[in-house]
Amino acid sequence: MFRRAHFTALGLLLVSAGAARGEPPVATPPAAAANAAVPANPASPEDPGKRLYVRHCLSCHQADGGGVPNMQPAIAGGAWVKGDPGALALFVMTGGFDSAQRKDSAVDNVMPPFAQLGDDELAAILTYIRQKFGGGAAAVDAAQVAAARANIPK
Amino acid sequence: MRSSSLLKVVSLSLATAAGFAGTVRADDGLVVPDGFTATVVQEGLGNARHLAIAANGDLYVGGREGLVAMRDKDHDGKIDETAKFGDVQGTEVRLYKNWLYVSDDVGVYRYALKKGELAPKSAKETVVGGFPKERQHADKTFALDPKGTLYVNVGAPSNSCQERDRQEGSMGQNPCPILEKYGGVWVFDGNKLDQTPANGRRFATGMRNSVAIEWNDAQNALFAVIHGRDSIDTLFPALYNAQDNATRQAEEFHKIVDGGNYGWPYTFFDTKLGKRVVAPEYGGDAKKEPEAGKYPNPLVAYPAHWAPNDLLFYSGKSFPAQYQGGAFIAFHGSWNRAPEPQAGYKVVFQPMKDGKPSGDYQVFADGFAGEMADNNPRNARYRPVGLAVAPDGSLYVADSQKGRIWRISYARK
Repeated sequence: MFRRAHFTALGLLLVSAGAARGEPPVATPPAAAANAAVPANPASPEDPGKRLYVRHCLSCHQADGGGVPNMQPAIAGGAWVKGDPGALALFVMTGGFDSAQRKDSAVDNVMPPFAQLGDDELAAILTYIRQKFGGGAAAVDAAQVAAARANIPK
Repeated sequence: MRSSSLLKVVSLSLATAAGFAGTVRADDGLVVPDGFTATVVQEGLGNARHLAIAANGDLYVGGREGLVAMRDKDHDGKIDETAKFGDVQGTEVRLYKNWLYVSDDVGVYRYALKKGELAPKSAKETVVGGFPKERQHADKTFALDPKGTLYVNVGAPSNSCQERDRQEGSMGQNPCPILEKYGGVWVFDGNKLDQTPANGRRFATGMRNSVAIEWNDAQNALFAVIHGRDSIDTLFPALYNAQDNATRQAEEFHKIVDGGNYGWPYTFFDTKLGKRVVAPEYGGDAKKEPEAGKYPNPLVAYPAHWAPNDLLFYSGKSFPAQYQGGAFIAFHGSWNRAPEPQAGYKVVFQPMKDGKPSGDYQVFADGFAGEMADNNPRNARYRPVGLAVAPDGSLYVADSQKGRIWRISYARK
């Protein structure tokens, strides 16, 4: 269902992200990188981004964004969480099914698409993971998510 | 449910190591019951999985980093010779006659073992090859009966056969087409070479993933502990919350019979209700039960997400009489309990008589995980994943975090 053209840029992005992360080192997991990326003062419990992360993302990517060896990849310490917000938003909305990067992924499970979430909700989640797991990368606003949503392959 | 033995057992086990008297190993925190001693015989094998021990005591370990053979030449309890061999990265290793049977995600293979030889020098032979390459639940663990019948666990590459795997609200495919080729046990003739999946026969179905599969000689029957499904809360938030997801979907211990159907993906065994319920993907409402008698209840329902990754029936002679005929189960430990606390990460003993559970299960070895920072399995110190009994009756346990192998022996006081 995805057209190849739409995946060229994203595929490149994720290939480079995987290389940067050197995943998935089972014997030497990305714990150090993950911890280094976590700010000392994470978002408050009232943070809607955190609440939504717990609700939709945490069981797979875990509270520390470190993923689970062999099962789900780490967010923390990766290149794409702090990279282009539009590409990140598009990836979260389209998920890993049928994707170019899935072929080269070394983990078992596929991320489902989260396009059912609203622009505000996705912006809050992405802002949370970028601040907590992306070394304090810039916040994402709803307009950026909406712009990315327009790029979801029909 | 408050007074059922099932729940009593659950609460007892959640008390973990503090709940039973045992001896704590100083260097790694492993704790085993009084009278037993755990010693480290090997470490540094990486992502080790299952293990097998030959009649002469030689130890074979399968794992994601390949096969390893080990020998204790002077019988002092320490490994003197370690040899990597072969090119199979997987989980299962079993000895049958003069062969070492192993598997990976796509096939079952064997190596001829010559008398006195530690690592086999013979060429790998393919017993069954060509299983479709999958990522999820792909390990082709297997059991062999005394005639050489090969029972292969073909796990389902899916959580619950949704139209879109693991997507919120996606309904289940009905009938689930995955069951045609996966989600059950397929039988082959383990004495024949170069078979394909098409040469196999579906022996049992409705089994999501049965890494822990074992033939029981005394009962002349196959048994398995099946991994229950994930994520009832995130997929169906109107029906279940995070605490429900962390605790309700049993890991199911079954006797596996020819033609049996164990209920995946249409149902799961709910430890809170103490009964089998229809899965939300198939119209379940957190209470609705399937047609009576359609699927068997488990022999024992273990707590959710503990991840049973090996099963062994104790037939050694050195453990006390209560262990004879009972089952040891290695629980690799959860990831899908998050954000609730993770659990499992222990070896459990299940008392059994005549092939049926004869009492509550007991934590046999605990303390593997350690503090496990961030509630993340990645940070577990050790994760038990493989079991084998040595000729002297001691129990060996393999760990997948660091590739440590313990020998647990019993000394009468």
